[in-house]
Amino acid sequence: MSSAISTTTEQDALLRAGIDRSLRHPVMFFLTSGAAWLAVSIVLGIISSAKAHAPGFLSCCSWLTYGRVFPAHINAFIYGWGFQAAFAVIIWMMARLSRKECTAAGLILVAGHVWNLGVFLGLVGILSGSSTGMPWMEFPAFAWPVLLASYFAIVIWSFIQFRVRPEGHVYISQWYLLAAIVWFPWIFITANTLLHCLPGHPVMAAGINAWYKSALTFLFFTPVALGTAYYLAPKITGQPVYSYSLAKLGFWSLAVIAPWAGMQKLAGAPIPYFLPYVGAAATVMLFVPTISAAINLLRTAISSPEILASSPSLRFTLAGIGGLILLACSAVVLNLPDSTLPLTQFSLSGYGFEILALYGFFSFVMFGAVYFIVPRVTRREWLSRRLIKIHFLFSVYGIMAVALFAIFGGFEQGIGQEDWQQPWQNAASRAYPYAVGTTIAWCFILFSNIFFFIHLALMWLRLGRRSQHPTLFDAAHGHASSPHGEEGDIDNAGPGYISAH
Amino acid sequence: MSFRTFILGLSASFGVAWLAVIVVPFITMRNLAPIQLSEATDGTTGIFFPKRTGRVADGARVYAENGCYLCHTQVVRPTYAGNDLYRPDWGGLKADPDRGDTRRETNAYDFFGEKFAQIGVSRMGPDLSNLGRRVESNYAAGKDPSIWLFTHLYNPRLDPQLWQSTCPPHHFMFTKRKITGNPSEDAMPFGNADEGTELVPTPEAKALVSYLLSLKKDQAVPAVLNFSPAKAKGSAK
Repeated sequence: MSSAISTTTEQDALLRAGIDRSLRHPVMFFLTSGAAWLAVSIVLGIISSAKAHAPGFLSCCSWLTYGRVFPAHINAFIYGWGFQAAFAVIIWMMARLSRKECTAAGLILVAGHVWNLGVFLGLVGILSGSSTGMPWMEFPAFAWPVLLASYFAIVIWSFIQFRVRPEGHVYISQWYLLAAIVWFPWIFITANTLLHCLPGHPVMAAGINAWYKSALTFLFFTPVALGTAYYLAPKITGQPVYSYSLAKLGFWSLAVIAPWAGMQKLAGAPIPYFLPYVGAAATVMLFVPTISAAINLLRTAISSPEILASSPSLRFTLAGIGGLILLACSAVVLNLPDSTLPLTQFSLSGYGFEILALYGFFSFVMFGAVYFIVPRVTRREWLSRRLIKIHFLFSVYGIMAVALFAIFGGFEQGIGQEDWQQPWQNAASRAYPYAVGTTIAWCFILFSNIFFFIHLALMWLRLGRRSQHPTLFDAAHGHASSPHGEEGDIDNAGPGYISAH
Repeated sequence: MSFRTFILGLSASFGVAWLAVIVVPFITMRNLAPIQLSEATDGTTGIFFPKRTGRVADGARVYAENGCYLCHTQVVRPTYAGNDLYRPDWGGLKADPDRGDTRRETNAYDFFGEKFAQIGVSRMGPDLSNLGRRVESNYAAGKDPSIWLFTHLYNPRLDPQLWQSTCPPHHFMFTKRKITGNPSEDAMPFGNADEGTELVPTPEAKALVSYLLSLKKDQAVPAVLNFSPAKAKGSAK
């Protein structure tokens, strides 16, 4: 009996090691180039943020003007970092959960390079003055078919893996990943064909663009991050998911509510009146799916506090869940028609909300996944606990500052905007100190991510520690309470490890 | 739940919303019917067709490429959605010498000639729906309105009233060149040009200024679009 168990465990370990090996290069390529784009995006973010309160800063040449640097910043963040981190997580988690090795690593790598080329050319297009002028879709029109084709070439294998997996239980993470895989092309094709190919009414075009921003956030980035968190939290703590019914509620309520959200940004604009109200109502109701997922994940994770204290992956993931809770609350607070929506509609709050969703929630969960996945696919451990700590602390404080400055600054600004008896300058003056604060906070984030990028690049070069002991925050706990299993039983090492040396 | 049911569920939950908020409104708005004016209520016949003059398509492109929409909006919200209409010069002019109070909210016919309505992301700067009207009547009253706009593009803080503005300078929209022969008619009266040189706007700057001057969305609207008929009656006199 015991020998049978050990054979299955060994077979499992072999299978996991095989999956990790088959995906090493695509995963590391996406993560490293994503981290590089993240650094680029943050530098652009600092420049644009500084320009928001010091307009003379770097005003020498056309490509550094605020109106081009800011779109470059947000597009580099979304398509450079966000999507590539999501790709890495989707292909790795789907292979692990479907227990299938990846057979198309070469093709995925090629498609990944094409994606990067598309992002690069798109950014050059924005900076050289060929932006389309549609928020989050500023890449010149040539870019979207390139991105779409490489998207299919990257994720189609995960879809196939799911279809040919051995029969068995479908895990929550797989629901979320499949949903993201299906929804994204639908959203992307809809928005791009309606805005670039089929001429419609200009105001409706603006409405579709607002919907695209919201749908991308809540129907691609959110499900990918939630799927990842549902993988990491139980896996690292070794506890089952707290409640499956809560997970189901969270998933299906997201699916039903999120596609309606977004058009509240056009409240008062001449589009059919129900659209902004439906958008506002749906955004407020997003509280339900986000909070049910957040509670479920928190209840799962806090069941083992000592692992929470020592595991970098879990720490980042839970910080992301914290961001999700803030996001859920601000979705309610910012979007109440007749009270807060008129204040926040055209203020800094919108940016704060986007950054909270993309960085405070999505990116933190992605960092958690990076700290979990990379040692497994490279078979090396992270070099330095201190580097991870710097990354964590500066990111958390930095991003909370950016999001809160922007959201509260936006309220201040909105109050000034609505106060029509005062001169217009009043509104701008109210926002000014918050804009300065945002710039400083971005500098902290840049600082943290430079270390992250260097650390990750060293790991890709396979310069990580050759050890069977994972890099944890709390060395005093020893390895007995390792979140990655008993000492010497780390996936990372794999069964071939000892014989190979 | 089988895979088929799952995918069906995903498609249904997304598809219903997709049809309701994207596809159907897109088709409806695309086929927006022209409004017939009636003699009884509008005092004239024909169809409602707000005219715009200027390089609208060109200028809108420059506006988009340089990210003006990040800080300026182009929508005057009705009073249920915000206080834009109360500002004295956003929805029109509070006291136009000829037409009285011309302020009104933005309507769906105001974006004629543009592919994408630049509703805007935030209001770091003021709304531009009636910028052309405002520049002509207030900022540059009695002067050349395009010079005021060129000055604003070159450096917004050159206007002493706007010393706190955080709008970026757009020096790249102007060329400093040596005067050969007669000075250019387009030469700017500012920009501390040295002796023998002149500052001229690029074609982009000219298109943008022409577009900005075309922003005069305060024409009288037909009765069916009018949210404040009482005011219309008062000013009709």
